[in-house]
Amino acid sequence: MIDERELIDFITTQRWFGSKTRDVSHSTIVDRSRLREDPRLELMLVEIRFDTGTHETYQLLGDDGGLDALGDPRQVRELVHLVRTNSKRPAGDGIVEFASTEGFTGAGHELREARPVLAEQSNTSIVFDEALIMKVFRRLEAGINPELELLRFLTEHEFENIARLAGWYAYGGRQMDATLGILQEFVTGGQDGWERALESMADAPERFLDSLHGLGEVTGRMHSVLGSDANDPAFSPEATSAESLGLLTATVDEEIESIFMDLPDHNLELEPIRGRGEEVRERLRLLTNLGGTGRVIRHHGDFHLGQTLWADGDWVILDFEGEPARSLPERRRKRSPLRDVAGMVRSFAYAASAAKLLRGIDPPVAWEERARAEFLEGYRQTIDQNLVPSGAAMDKLLRVFELEKAVYELRYELNNRPDWVKIPVAGIVRMLEEEVPV
Amino acid sequence: MSEPGHWFERDPDWFKKAVFYEIHLRGFNDGNDDGSGDFRGLTDKLDYLQWLGVDCIWLLPFYPSPLRDGGYDISDFFTIHPDYGNVDDFRHFVDQAHQRGMRVIADLVMNHTSSDHPWFQASRSDPEGPYGDWYVWGDDDTRWAEARIIFLDTEPSNWSWDPVRGQYYWHRFFSHQPDLNYDNPEVQEQMLNVLRFWLDIGIDGFRLDAVPYLYERDGTNGENLPETHSFLKRVRAEVDARYQDRVLLAEANQWPADVVAYFGEGDGDECHMAFHFPVMPRMFMAIRREDALPMVEILASTPPIPRHTQWGLFLRNHDELTLEMVTDDERDYMYEEYAKDPRMKLNLGIRRRLAPLLDNGRDEIQLMHAILFSLPGSPVLYYGDEIGMGDNIFLGDRDGVRTPMQWTGDRNGGFSRADFQQLYLPPLMDPVYGFQAVNVEAQLRQPNSMLRWIHRLIALRKDHPVFGLGTYEALRPSNPRVFAHVRTYEDDIVLCVHNLARSAQAVELDLSRWEGFIPEEMFGRTRFPRIGELPYLLTLAPRGFFWFQLRKDETE
Repeated sequence: MIDERELIDFITTQRWFGSKTRDVSHSTIVDRSRLREDPRLELMLVEIRFDTGTHETYQLLGDDGGLDALGDPRQVRELVHLVRTNSKRPAGDGIVEFASTEGFTGAGHELREARPVLAEQSNTSIVFDEALIMKVFRRLEAGINPELELLRFLTEHEFENIARLAGWYAYGGRQMDATLGILQEFVTGGQDGWERALESMADAPERFLDSLHGLGEVTGRMHSVLGSDANDPAFSPEATSAESLGLLTATVDEEIESIFMDLPDHNLELEPIRGRGEEVRERLRLLTNLGGTGRVIRHHGDFHLGQTLWADGDWVILDFEGEPARSLPERRRKRSPLRDVAGMVRSFAYAASAAKLLRGIDPPVAWEERARAEFLEGYRQTIDQNLVPSGAAMDKLLRVFELEKAVYELRYELNNRPDWVKIPVAGIVRMLEEEVPV
Repeated sequence: MSEPGHWFERDPDWFKKAVFYEIHLRGFNDGNDDGSGDFRGLTDKLDYLQWLGVDCIWLLPFYPSPLRDGGYDISDFFTIHPDYGNVDDFRHFVDQAHQRGMRVIADLVMNHTSSDHPWFQASRSDPEGPYGDWYVWGDDDTRWAEARIIFLDTEPSNWSWDPVRGQYYWHRFFSHQPDLNYDNPEVQEQMLNVLRFWLDIGIDGFRLDAVPYLYERDGTNGENLPETHSFLKRVRAEVDARYQDRVLLAEANQWPADVVAYFGEGDGDECHMAFHFPVMPRMFMAIRREDALPMVEILASTPPIPRHTQWGLFLRNHDELTLEMVTDDERDYMYEEYAKDPRMKLNLGIRRRLAPLLDNGRDEIQLMHAILFSLPGSPVLYYGDEIGMGDNIFLGDRDGVRTPMQWTGDRNGGFSRADFQQLYLPPLMDPVYGFQAVNVEAQLRQPNSMLRWIHRLIALRKDHPVFGLGTYEALRPSNPRVFAHVRTYEDDIVLCVHNLARSAQAVELDLSRWEGFIPEEMFGRTRFPRIGELPYLLTLAPRGFFWFQLRKDETE
C-alpha cells in the first residue's frame, strides 16, 4: 500500500506538477490498472485535492521500485510493446487501451535503448533507439488530448512537417475518458529551433534568420491545412461571430487585470510595468478597434521556437498539446491562427534575451526585428488568406495576441523562473511604446 | 460522441458546484433568419456561454407545441419544434456544449400535455380506445374542490367540459393543458420512455415542471401526494440504473418543508435538485426594507437536505416573480414596492425582469447577485439578466420577460437577420433597456460593465467549491441591515458580509472562533487586519458587500 503522504510528496515535488503554488490537502488513487505482472508495472490515476476543494488528476506509473517506473528502460519498453500489440488492460473501474497507427505495427523489432528527455516540463517523454518517442501525459483531463487530435488530422491531411504518429494509449472508465500518452516517430539528427537560434547568434546569425522565412512558410501551410476541412466539425474553420472580438478583448483584458493584481511587491524586475495596468488595458482597447478578425480554426496552441526542429534542411513542428496551464476545453477552442504567429514572434524576443542571459552573447543589432520580418513574410506567402484579416487589421490582431502571450509569460515566469521575468516585462513595455498600426 | 462521460470527469455532485443558465430558445439567437431562435443559433453562441462560465444550460421546452403556454403545452414528446430545427441539430448542439465543458438539461412537463396532443385527441374521441384512460376524466366538476386554482387570472376551475367526449377533464394549469392520468401504468411507462429517449441523445438531465400535481386523491389538495413521490423514486431509479452523472431538478413551488420531500430519503432517492422558491421574494423584501431578517428567517426555516442534493436558487426566471410562498401581508408589500403598475402583476406574482425590479440600480443588481451566489445552493441565471436586460409589460402573459436576447446594437439587436415584422416578439428598443443601450457586444468591451462583473463573480465562485458544497452558518450581527454568514468546506472558510442598506453601515462581527486568521478579500485579494479577540469591525459602502477567505496567518 502507498500511503497518502507518500503520494502527495512524490507528486508535488515533480517537475510536471503544475500547481506548486497551491496547498494540497488530500490525494487518492481513483483507479489503477496492472499493465504487466512480472516485473510489476502499474498505472495509477491519482487525484490531488487542494485546500479549496478543487482537484487535479495525474497519471503515475509505479513498480516494485516505487512510483517512477518511467525511470526504468525495461518498464517503458513495455509501454511501447503494449501499443504495438494494440493491447487492452482492465482497470478497476474502466479499461486502458493501447492502439497503434497502421504503418507502425509491422515494424516490430526489439527496442534496445531508452533515454528520458531531460528538458521536459509538464509531461514525461522517453526516446527509444533514437527512432521512437513516447510522451506520457501527467496531468489528465476528460476528453481527447489535442495533441492526439491534431497529429491524427495533420497526418491524414498529409502535412509533412510533423513527426508521424505511431500510436497512443488512453483510459476509458467511470472516472473519465482521457488520453494517457502518445507514441511518435523520433526525428534524428535534428536540432530544436530554440537551441539553433541561440547557437547561431554568436557566429552565423544570417543563416538562421534566413531559415525563419521557411518556418513562416511551414507555419502558414500548417494553418492552411488545419483550416481546410469544412466537413470535420472538430476542425472546420468558422466565421467569427459578432461578439467574438468582444470575447477576445474581454478575455485578454481580464488576464491583464488579474496579473497586475497579482504582481508581487519588492521585485525590481517588475518596476518598468508596475502601476501601468490601466495603460496596458487602454492599449488593448486601441488594438481591438479593428474590422474583420478572419476565421477561427484549431491551431497549435503553444507555438514557439522550442516546439520546432530543424532537420535535413527543413522544419518539423512538435508538441500540439496547447498551453499546459489552460483547461482542455479551452485548449480545444478554435481561435485565430494569429495566436500561433504571436507565440512564435514572442519566442524571438525570448531568444534575443536568452542569448544574453544564458550564453552571455549580445544578439546582433535588430536581430529580433529581422527574425520577425522573415517569419511573417514567409507566413504571408502560404497562409490561406480567408483565415486571417487583411492589412492593418492583421497587424493589430497579431499585437493583441502578442500582448496576451506576454501576459501569460509574465505569470509563468513569476511562478517558475524569476530570472526570466524581465523578458515579458520588456515585451509589454515595448508594446506600450510602439505606434498602434493603422 | 455525445456521451457526456466522454468530455467530463466523473462527478456525481457536479450540479452542486454548477452555475446554471436558463435559456428561452425562441429568444436566444436566430440561426436561419426566420425571426425565431433555434438550435443552430444557440450553437453559434456557445463560445459566449463558455466564456461566461456557464456549467449547465437549462432549456425551456423545445418540443412541438401550439405555444399557448410558452411551449409548456407539449404536443409531441419525442421530437423538436420545427421552428427550432430537428433532432440532429439538437444532438449537434448537445455535443458542442459538452465539448466546451457545459452540460445541458431540458425542461420536461410530465403533469400534462397540450390538448392538441394526439393522446388527448384519441382520449376524447374514443373513451374505450387505447388512450381512453390516459387523462383524468369525470362526469361532474365538483370532485377535488380542495385543489387550488393556480392560474387565477384565466381559469375559473380545474375542470373543463369537453363536448366531444361529453365529460369534464382535469387540468391544474390552463384548460388547454389536460393532466395526464398517472394512475394508468401505461402513462408512467410512456413518460419513462420519454426520459430515456432524451437521455440516450446525451442530455444531462431534466428540469421537471410542475411535479407536485401528478396525482389526484379525494380529501387532499392534490399536491405532494405519496403516490407522486413513489413515481419520482421510480424515475430516479431508472435514471441511476442506466445513466451516469445525470440530474433531476424539481420545480415544486412549495414551502421548503414540503419541497425537501422531493429530494427523497437517505442520501436522496428522488430529485437531485429542487428550486428554493421562497428565498427569492425574501431577497427582494430584504433589500427594499433594508433588513436582513426575511433572509435569515427563511434560511433558518429551511430544513437540512440529503448529502447528494442541492437547492436551485435564482433571482428571476421565465415566469412571474412568484408570490405564492409568502404571507398575504408580505405579498401586499411586494406588490406595493415592486408592481406599482397593475400591468406588472400576473396571477400571484410580478412579471418583470431583474433590472427593472431593482430600478436598474447597478449596486442593487450586484448586491442581489452576490447574495444569491453566496447562499447554499446552485445559482440559476436567466438569459439577458447578465447584461441587465429590461422587460416589456405591454406584451401579454409572461412574454414581457421573454423578449429577444440583445447581442449587439445593430438591427434587431443582433438576434436575427429577419425583417423586424417577422420576429416572434419585438426586441426592447426603449432608451434605457433597448438593445442600443444594453447589449452583449458593448458590455464585453467595457471593463466595468455588468456583464464583465458577473463573469468575474462566476469565475470566483467556481474557484471555490465551498459555495456549492460548504456548510452555511448565519452570523447575527447587532446591525440588522447587514446580512452576514460563513461558508465552510474542508479548509476553505469564506465569510460573506452584505449591506442591505442604501447608506453606509458599520458592523461588528463575532469572529473569535477564527482568532489569528487573516481575512483576504476575494475579488481584489487584499489582506485585511488579522482577526483578534475583540469583535471584528467592518464598514460597508451603501449596498456594498465583502467576501473574505479566512486564511491561517502563515507569518506566525
